[in-house]
Amino acid sequence: MLGLIASLKKNKRLLLDLVGRDLRARYVGSSMGFFWSVIFPLVNLVVYMFVFSFVLEARWDEHQPKEVTALLMLAGIVVWQAFAESVSRSTNTLVENQNLIQKVVFPSEILPPYLVISALANMLIGIAITLLGVVFYAYIQPVEYATGTPSNRVLGLGPSLLALPLLMMLQALFTLGVGYFLATLNLFLRDVYHVMGVALTVFMFMTPIFYPAEKVLEAGMTWVLQINPMYWLIDSYRKILLWGDWPSPPIVGMFALVAVLAFFAGSSFFQAQKPRFPDLL
Amino acid sequence: MASPHAQGAGTSAILAKGLGKAYRMYDSPSKRFFELFAGGRKLHREFWAVRNVYLDIPHGATVGIIGENGAGKSSLLKLLTGITRPTEGELSVQGRVASLLELGAGFHPEFSGRDNIHLNCSILGMSEAEIAERFPKIVEFSELGDFIDRPVKTYSSGMYVRLGFSVAASVDPDILMIDEALSVGDEHFKGKCINRLNEFREQGKTTIFVSHDMGAVKSMCQHVVLLDRGEVLAQGNSESVADEYLKRAKARGNERLSAFNRGSSAYPRWGTGEIETLEVEMLDAAGSSTAVFQTNEPFRVRMRYRVHAPVKDPVFGLGIYRSDGSYVNGSNHHWREQPIRIENVQPGEEGEVVMSFERMPLLQGAYYLTTFLYDHSKAAPTAVDHREHVCTFEVIDAARLQHGMLFLPTIWTLTRRRDGREERLESRS
Repeated sequence: MLGLIASLKKNKRLLLDLVGRDLRARYVGSSMGFFWSVIFPLVNLVVYMFVFSFVLEARWDEHQPKEVTALLMLAGIVVWQAFAESVSRSTNTLVENQNLIQKVVFPSEILPPYLVISALANMLIGIAITLLGVVFYAYIQPVEYATGTPSNRVLGLGPSLLALPLLMMLQALFTLGVGYFLATLNLFLRDVYHVMGVALTVFMFMTPIFYPAEKVLEAGMTWVLQINPMYWLIDSYRKILLWGDWPSPPIVGMFALVAVLAFFAGSSFFQAQKPRFPDLL
Repeated sequence: MASPHAQGAGTSAILAKGLGKAYRMYDSPSKRFFELFAGGRKLHREFWAVRNVYLDIPHGATVGIIGENGAGKSSLLKLLTGITRPTEGELSVQGRVASLLELGAGFHPEFSGRDNIHLNCSILGMSEAEIAERFPKIVEFSELGDFIDRPVKTYSSGMYVRLGFSVAASVDPDILMIDEALSVGDEHFKGKCINRLNEFREQGKTTIFVSHDMGAVKSMCQHVVLLDRGEVLAQGNSESVADEYLKRAKARGNERLSAFNRGSSAYPRWGTGEIETLEVEMLDAAGSSTAVFQTNEPFRVRMRYRVHAPVKDPVFGLGIYRSDGSYVNGSNHHWREQPIRIENVQPGEEGEVVMSFERMPLLQGAYYLTTFLYDHSKAAPTAVDHREHVCTFEVIDAARLQHGMLFLPTIWTLTRRRDGREERLESRS
């Protein structure tokens, strides 16, 4: 564990180079460049809004106008995408970079971190869009709420934004743990990468991203939320980004515990098997 | 990467004691997974790629590692570079190591050469300052010109390799390990690479060079290690190891080729069949059948025949081809200044035809023979028994006096004029 942290520190420059390369790779080959990271979540949002709000006529709850529903979904999508992208790319990253692992003395432990950092950097753009939307509908052209809307369900920003870095750090830790674990496992069982595509979709729909958590509670399936750390994370983000509330300490605390455990377990597995990587590829 | 180390006299750059590497072989991929939970129970078989290797390489030596394909050269090199860990034995490497197992490993196709140089340098462990300092040299060495700012995916394979080598050559290690990286690129660039290696040697750096080309190794290395099936068969000065290598290569080549030649009926054979050519044999100086020859050694091809029906004017011929299909030479006993004519062949007749070279003129490589038996009684000769690719043979050229396909007897003369005198130097062989 300490070895891992020391190595990340030692290879900081290479790590940042890889992040830079990855961020540019997203845009260099395309003419629209940077704007893709703006357009992509928005297109996703439009699609899901269309399906859920118009086709299925689902409403977030009786209080929320559709602008707020959109922002709720957007916040969820943006956070989820950063997680899902990091995890699925991490799973395959050792295989993808086998050239480096087999031909050069290469610190493979920096691969999942660079993917996570790159995804989080990209997520910041999505968060910025969400915040712009909140500012617009809260202060510039306020939306109308139904009477009786509780005050903690009215758009607004507050000092709780200061908690964002903490949340992102915990998210990084959790994602890294899962990423390290799956990257290693994938060397033993190449099917893991293929399964991940399906598993992440199932996981996404089990997480209240396109529907309010209350629907799950009403259906009597509370346990689904109780075992889902991504719900705790997304819920905390929404509190900060939309309502200007502080996230609930027990939930953040629980997520922090899970994140540390995941990181510890994942990175230990990775480090233990690392000497074998060149042989396993 | 090992930390830089003072090159004290008498210390070894590389010291290996009983080094061995076993790869785990699984019957099915899932066994590899279940072994994680098997609690130490083995679900694999072991394959020893390298075993019992003892090396003591002093600082400043240039060492060649040779062996046939699959002898464990690359596995040994991976151990020495620290990419893989030994299963048994001890290894100590003193000094900063740079390895060139593959040029341009880790290039990103979408990025320009410039960006890739940067990234590759940091993968090779250079600091920001080092990169900034060496960058212009790398660009100059690669001779890529304006292409340096274009995406690597637009490069030809030669350009790709040039860029890869330029980055690698800029590394300033104490020990450089190369895996046949020189066998690529055009002659001009190859020359530059060899110059860089010589420079390196003159600076007293240690070089390990892996190849299956005895000639290249001999010209560059004082000390040669010969590997065979994962073990060191011989090591020492290049002359003695070269002899051992030739002996092995002949034995191995024969083993492989005799099996191959038995199965060569797969190639086309056609003709009217009145006369049948039977076995075709290649004979060495001692008259024994072999499939591996040395340049300038006597070489004979003998084919037996049997007659089934009369043919008016049969002519035997032989074609020599290089393995890539290049037609090297063809001849028969009829189109000669003193032709041999065979008349009045009748069923039941048997005999043999021999074509011989006093000195095998071919240089190192793989070649094959095609035999022709044509009836020349008509204006256009008709095939009686035409056998394509009837046998394969290899030529080893340990001396490497000439390059290319053929050994040509050359005479070199050199005339020097100075101080009003003329001096003539001549070499006839």
